[in-house]
Amino acid sequence: MAAPRSCALWGYCGRGWSRVMRGCRLPGLRSSWPGSPLGARLLSQEKRATETHFGFETVSEEEKGGKASPDSTFCLDPMEMIHEDPPQFYQVFESVAKKYDVMNDMMSLGIHRVWKDLLLWRMHPFPGTQLLDVAGGTGDIAFRFLNYIQAQHQRKQKRQLRTQQNLSWEEIAQKYQNEEDSLNGSHVVVCDINKEMLKIGRKKACAQGYKTGKSYRKNLQLGLAWVLGDAEELPFDDDKFDVYTIAFGIRNVTHIDRALQEAHRVLKPGGRFLCLEFSQVTNPLVSRLYDLYSFQVIPVMGEVIAKDWKSYQYLVESIRQFPAQEEFKEMIEDAGFQKVTYESLTSGIVAIHSGFKL
Amino acid sequence: MVTLLRGTLRPLHVPLRAASQGTGLLYPEHIPTSLLQKVLLTAGSAGMALYNPYRHDMVAVLGETTGCRALRVLRDQMKRDPEGAQILQERPRISLSTLDLDKLQSLPEGSLGREYLRFLDVNRVSPDTRAPTRFVDDEELAYVIQRYREVHDMLHTLLGMPTNILGEIVVKWFEAVQTGLPMCILGALFGPIRLSAQHLQVLVSELVPWAVQNGRRAPCVLNLYYERRWEQPLKALREELGITDPPMHIKA
Repeated sequence: MAAPRSCALWGYCGRGWSRVMRGCRLPGLRSSWPGSPLGARLLSQEKRATETHFGFETVSEEEKGGKASPDSTFCLDPMEMIHEDPPQFYQVFESVAKKYDVMNDMMSLGIHRVWKDLLLWRMHPFPGTQLLDVAGGTGDIAFRFLNYIQAQHQRKQKRQLRTQQNLSWEEIAQKYQNEEDSLNGSHVVVCDINKEMLKIGRKKACAQGYKTGKSYRKNLQLGLAWVLGDAEELPFDDDKFDVYTIAFGIRNVTHIDRALQEAHRVLKPGGRFLCLEFSQVTNPLVSRLYDLYSFQVIPVMGEVIAKDWKSYQYLVESIRQFPAQEEFKEMIEDAGFQKVTYESLTSGIVAIHSGFKL
Repeated sequence: MVTLLRGTLRPLHVPLRAASQGTGLLYPEHIPTSLLQKVLLTAGSAGMALYNPYRHDMVAVLGETTGCRALRVLRDQMKRDPEGAQILQERPRISLSTLDLDKLQSLPEGSLGREYLRFLDVNRVSPDTRAPTRFVDDEELAYVIQRYREVHDMLHTLLGMPTNILGEIVVKWFEAVQTGLPMCILGALFGPIRLSAQHLQVLVSELVPWAVQNGRRAPCVLNLYYERRWEQPLKALREELGITDPPMHIKA
């Protein structure tokens, strides 16, 4: 069912060019994959194609009824192309997707909300900022970003009204009628490797009243777009975004250095990289309590609430394996970022790392 | 690049990874747990089971974390009985893959096998929905509780109880008297919380006394090698165990 239609789609999208070769029965070309000179030429074509192509179609929900549209709007399933065997964390997130938000609240006792708010305050976006939120599946950072910008816009409007005391009735009426674009050119693209997480994010967006369009470009205009993609190989062109954030996602990436390089690539010169991630606790007492809580309580919570001990066991172990603040700072510098700093929160349980592409 | 090298050479100081993968596992599905975790699991699963009665897995977990002593008593009892000892040795499992459904279908009406199949059909249940044991820290006891779970459907057939909430509570009372598992006792005592007054009255006045009486009279039901008794007429088996007919018929 998928083959003929997807052939056309994948031919259209640059990165999927190699998939076309594997999947389609194009006479003559198929037998020449992968080792021959013809194969080599196809590889270079693929590279050129990604540079010229803008981006990928997003999944768009039907605006009425919220039914998910068929997968034909997805250009490419990166899981198929990139990994033979989906990494463990992919299956983890498939099973935890539905309970993700509930579990976050329970495990961090609600503190994760404060951490994410702090990330936004450090970011201090202004209208016109274009944000890419990677591994942002359920949209926590994206919604905060949009709220922040809208709040700023409202404050600006209030200030304007206060200074203009002697408006005529006509002018006042006009102000109310003018539905000024509160975002003023800012938009956020949420990119996640997992379809389930994106689905939940989209549902939340609908529930909060954000409109969704039928195409990626339309969604950017409306301010919020959802894209399926892999942090190690982002489906975006170079120099596209003002800010790149990744909140509690980078520890799940298999090759962190590649993700950092991709971040560097898609940011505009002057762009900022922000990473909110679990880190190493410095205080020994807090560290003991934190270990106790992580290893004893969290898997139990996972079993009772989400019916899944193993995923949450994996979660706490992956947190321990992630590099410490200084080491991660050096990794970010290796990727080409400058003025890299970090800020530890809650005694080092999480840290916000920030770097600039200059 | 230096940081990459450093990253690979950094020692992995993750304490519990080794325990949950390969070493320290007593059986394939085993998850070793500390005492604190068992206590938390007990509290959490009991709460969740009350809050959401459809979480049967929580009831199972509760059974595993609290059943230490009772399981040992049960296992020793099984060892003393010849049929029970055979079960412990051969470790039969009841699942769709081990049951020969065609053969059961062909058995005469009134036989255990045929009635069991009818029970599965009427109540639309399958023997494969039982979760495997995970939190019991002894391999043989893990089998005992698994056997108890798989025999649960047999008990429904023996007692003639459907799988609705009333039927389940009656079977729980029977099991509580028979096995002494804390989970059964808790389930028997707290299960009726969600019943209507009418059902509660019927339960207390007739069904529970009947279940308790039969539970005390019958020998341990885990000692029966059901897989060898498919052809035995259900009536004869009930007589052997001393199980009388239920005081009233409960619709499924």
